[in-house]
Amino acid sequence: MTRRVRLWILAVGGAGLAALLVAACLELPGFGGTSHPYGDRAVRASLARRTANTIASINFDQRAFDTLGEMSILFASVLGTVVLLRQTRDERRAKPEPAYVALPVRRYALIVLPVALLTGLYVIAHGQLSPGGGFQGGVVAATALHLLYLGADYRALERIRPVGLYEVGDALAASAYLVTGLAGLIGGAAFLANTLLPYGTFNTLSSGGTVPLLNAAIGMEVACAVVVLLARFLDQAVEIEQEGGT
Amino acid sequence: MDDPLIVVTLLLVAACATAAVAVRDPERQALVLAVLGTTLAVLFTVLQAPDVALSQLAVGSALTPLLLLLSVRKVRRRGRKKDKAR
Amino acid sequence: MNGWTVAATAALAGGVGATVWGVATGPLRRRVVAQNLSTSLACPSLLLLAQGYDRPSYVDPALVLALLGPVGTLVFARLLAEDLEKDPPKAPWLTYAASGFGAVVVLVLCVVGGPDRAMGKLLVTGALLVGGNLIASRALAGGIAGSRHG
Repeated sequence: MTRRVRLWILAVGGAGLAALLVAACLELPGFGGTSHPYGDRAVRASLARRTANTIASINFDQRAFDTLGEMSILFASVLGTVVLLRQTRDERRAKPEPAYVALPVRRYALIVLPVALLTGLYVIAHGQLSPGGGFQGGVVAATALHLLYLGADYRALERIRPVGLYEVGDALAASAYLVTGLAGLIGGAAFLANTLLPYGTFNTLSSGGTVPLLNAAIGMEVACAVVVLLARFLDQAVEIEQEGGT
Repeated sequence: MDDPLIVVTLLLVAACATAAVAVRDPERQALVLAVLGTTLAVLFTVLQAPDVALSQLAVGSALTPLLLLLSVRKVRRRGRKKDKAR
Repeated sequence: MNGWTVAATAALAGGVGATVWGVATGPLRRRVVAQNLSTSLACPSLLLLAQGYDRPSYVDPALVLALLGPVGTLVFARLLAEDLEKDPPKAPWLTYAASGFGAVVVLVLCVVGGPDRAMGKLLVTGALLVGGNLIASRALAGGIAGSRHG
């Protein structure tokens, strides 16, 4: 394929996309208007299932299958990182030198670490009630662990972070999501259908049927995935060196 | 669009995003990206989307800069080693 | 628009606007300070917005920003330590002013809201924000010394 042909194909594709986008934008309701056809239906459906946060209801109930896809994307990309950033045969591990960290900074890191972990868990647990959810809380909790690297040194982080366990946790959480979805098939309902559990009392932690369960699975999956991802990056940046200086 | 708050936050995001593209050095780019994440989170809050704002803050304020700077450090270290070997 | 959102607009246009300018131009020492200040100015704005919209749950993004903003600055302090050692940032008054702004906003919101569970969350956010920013600026000004492999 010559350069000219490729450019023509790109131009045709780009023009088609632009035309479709313009056509779609012309039909959109005005910015800040009062007509929300999708929003009204989503809110009605989430209230019927007693989920206070409509976004959580959309993510883990009305469109839980989309979330399964998103989770698989994260899982696959972390898997790809693990394979790409592994230690190859011509590389060796060098012991990281500890950095000097001033006492107030060290203390701050050690005090904020548990607070951040707790905040992450809080954001996950209240996903069906207030803004937040598994993804946001999982990232906060995983970032919290890395305060040990920032405030102390890399070896301190390695001691509390057995990467193998987090890899298992990642896979377990991903399969927990699938199993909860399969459980929806019991009683003749559909995959990931929210019919298994009672909907509970509106605006309490246990409301929303399977929403809190799926939310917790995503929280664990994201937290483990981010820890594994950062572990590979940190290993490469801090420890792994190529032999022979090339 | 008549709300000055929306206009101000949109302008902030536009200015910061332009700066993120215009800055060439990856370390400085990471700094601009961190601020861009914060302004985006404010924009999402103003547009009544706190869930998206939380996602943006969780990913953009510490995780993205850490990944970017670690990659830069790895590349620099390899370059330094190559210089020594020559 | 009410008083709270007007105050948030002013803080965003003046404060965060200035930090966007600061982070986009100038030497590295200026950019890292601007990044740190962007947290200490955007977080009070988020709190003001939560009050202005009368949505207590909007405090959560501010809480996460108060937690992770300084952590982000620590990331820069740690991984840019070698560059910052040569040219350390010194802007104590700007940092104190921004932290003071955050403290004042939190106290005003506490007085308006009255003592309840929401006030506890506000106080935690305020403590994390002010403490985090002061510590992060200390870390930038030589609190973390670089090592090639650390």
